[in-house]
Amino acid sequence: MAQQYEIPVGAQHISLLEPLHFKFTTENEKIVHTDANVYYVHRGIEKACCTKFKFRQVSFVVGRVCGLCSISHTTAYSQVAEKLLKIEIPKRAKYLRMLVIELDRIHSHLLCLSHVAENSGFEALFMKTMQYREFSMELLEAICGNRIQYDFSIVGGVARDLKPEVANQVLRRLDHFMPQLEELADIFRNNWTLSLKNKGVGAISRETALRLNVVGPFARAAGLAVDVRNETEDLLPWKEAGFEMVTETSGDVYARNMVRIRELYVSISIIRNIINGLPETPIVTETKAFPDGEAVVRLEAPRGELFYYAKGNKTQVLERLKIKAPTFSNVAAMVEAFRGNEYGSAPAIIASYDPCLSCTAR
Amino acid sequence: MKLATYRKKSPWILHYNAGGCNGCDIEILACLAPKYDIERFGMINTGNPKQSDILLVTGPVTKRSRERLVEIYAQMPEPKVVVACGACASTGGVFRGMYNCEGGVDQFIPVDVYVCGCGTRPEQIIDGVVQALAILEQKNKDMEASVRLNTQPIAEDEQLNRRHVAASITPTPTV
Repeated sequence: MAQQYEIPVGAQHISLLEPLHFKFTTENEKIVHTDANVYYVHRGIEKACCTKFKFRQVSFVVGRVCGLCSISHTTAYSQVAEKLLKIEIPKRAKYLRMLVIELDRIHSHLLCLSHVAENSGFEALFMKTMQYREFSMELLEAICGNRIQYDFSIVGGVARDLKPEVANQVLRRLDHFMPQLEELADIFRNNWTLSLKNKGVGAISRETALRLNVVGPFARAAGLAVDVRNETEDLLPWKEAGFEMVTETSGDVYARNMVRIRELYVSISIIRNIINGLPETPIVTETKAFPDGEAVVRLEAPRGELFYYAKGNKTQVLERLKIKAPTFSNVAAMVEAFRGNEYGSAPAIIASYDPCLSCTAR
Repeated sequence: MKLATYRKKSPWILHYNAGGCNGCDIEILACLAPKYDIERFGMINTGNPKQSDILLVTGPVTKRSRERLVEIYAQMPEPKVVVACGACASTGGVFRGMYNCEGGVDQFIPVDVYVCGCGTRPEQIIDGVVQALAILEQKNKDMEASVRLNTQPIAEDEQLNRRHVAASITPTPTV
């Protein structure tokens, strides 16, 4: 047996956005074992949501669980609270929620792609992707009023209506983005230098992914057709808006990039469908009821399935709120997929998981 | 070698997330990207605290990340400037009072510039970092200036000498 070395990455590292600690055990250059330590950013949001904040304020607090998928958190909480209040929200509010979730998915996927490019050593592609990503931030600012932390979904509907001129602007900017996306897809698909770091690296098989209960683009890259948008139809009408499943088979970094790029096309077509067929109804359902009973909601965040459980007791403050974030499901598979790869590829593999630890640790 | 000049023209940034929501972190990343392009001030994002001049901290300090934060701050060479990015890094924000949060970076390390907003806009981050540059220059001048003692040395210690007042420390002989 060759001599084994332990290499720590994190908690502070140039390739990591968040505190995350990996301890790699390597033999020569090959990673043979990995330990992950993800709970650096535990803040105690669930406890605070059940003691400090009233149930209408909680939708703004859970948005601060994660800055990348804050709209997914606020929407999932709003839906679970609406189930507890037993109200039905107007159709326009549902469509506007889907619109912002898809725009958020565009900016999140582009951020992940740029991060993969940077960690693979392709700095120019990082700059290019970040440059093309700015249009989604500007559109989110035009729709919601803030670049991140939109606070768009509230209990009973959405906070703002979509103005016609903003809708036109969204369509125009999407048309402008399409050739740029083609360019990015071409680089990610065909660039030879990038393929050295991405093809066949960090691969996970379909069976392993199924056994370890992987969700999100990580699972879809391995060939598992898991997407909450495909399964639930009662809360948000995804299929009506034109959702299509995207899967790849190889399960490596390249496949995850491809899943994200192809999902961008799906997101763009969903946004176009929503804006062209936006129903004319009010945007908020008013109610004076208090939450009662128990409810569960699943929603597809950019990183996978987001799960919310809430329990009310007819008072202003919830009795229990449980958040299960997508990255939490993926940690076991993240550790597994490092095995057998070179240590030099580790930053690119970490970025391709798109880990969101502030979601995981809450 | 005029190190101070180069430091002013090309300060290196270190970024640490002390338990935030990623919102301000992706805005710092957006600052490095072509639209806002913080590199026109000569700044570059480095992962090594020993080469950095400006520490950008985001997030309310969680109990697990506070030792890392202080350790990183201690490893940075003088002169150094700390910029707290975002409402929760400045005061704790919405997380203030949660059981695992300490509420603000300035509880543990001295903060020079506070950047407000949840999440912080890239323009605000750039403004904060440019303010930090002026502070960095001032700190550098203070370091290089020759130190002269303004106060007179103390002629006589007027404090009560407790050893004279206190009881004798020689143990009383046991009978």
